[in-house]
Amino acid sequence: MEDFRATNQKQRDEFIDFWVDYVKTHSDEEWSRQQNMLINSGLKSARLSREEILKFRMTKA
Amino acid sequence: MKIIDEHTIQIDRDLSDLDLFVLEFVKIMEKYTPYTLVSGYVALLFGRSRNTEDVDMFITRLTKQQFHDFYADIKNNGFKSVLVESEEELFSMLTDNLSVRFGKGESPIPNMEVKFVRDYLDILSLQSKMKVITKQGNLYISSPELQVAYKKLVLMSPKDMEDARHLQRLFEIPEENINKYQELFRRYGRL
Repeated sequence: MEDFRATNQKQRDEFIDFWVDYVKTHSDEEWSRQQNMLINSGLKSARLSREEILKFRMTKA
Repeated sequence: MKIIDEHTIQIDRDLSDLDLFVLEFVKIMEKYTPYTLVSGYVALLFGRSRNTEDVDMFITRLTKQQFHDFYADIKNNGFKSVLVESEEELFSMLTDNLSVRFGKGESPIPNMEVKFVRDYLDILSLQSKMKVITKQGNLYISSPELQVAYKKLVLMSPKDMEDARHLQRLFEIPEENINKYQELFRRYGRL
């Protein structure tokens, strides 16, 4: 279990380092466009009302 | 991203819905008191690839009348306190060094988590604040160096360690600059 956690964290850290290098080597507009997809969609989901979630589920079904 | 001087950074990022929420709130807050944004939002503003539900902010202590005026102002602008509504209770929580949260409209997410400064360390966050010039207004944040040190030495959750890693690598903060905060954190009971 410890090994699994350590490996998982190592991979997460590697991605953080990769992403920081991306931020440093690309324009603010470029990296933020990608980051905003994550942030804005998360906030949008959090703001969905109960009715909207039910409607969305019914549409998918 | 351009570091203009020791206390100023210009960032040309496209603003997220979270950034716009924060900018709207601080435009009201700064009419009443100086503030500084701390913790996770500092990492997010500079590109950390994760989400958050709250944005932490320190403010200098307000009088009851100042809080009354501020609370009326944010309510007029569509913000609502999350969990507690009574003005009396909110002010009492702040003076007891508890945080209070404000969301926009009926949505509790995202929310601003506001606290009065309580000791020298919190005041240091305010004093060492940096101005971040964005496309739609300025934000004041606690210095990335202090935030990295606090996350790495005090908070230490996996999420905090990852935020610290992002900021430390981005701003190329040497390890010795972080370690110099050990004594300060110990003196103010954080370690």
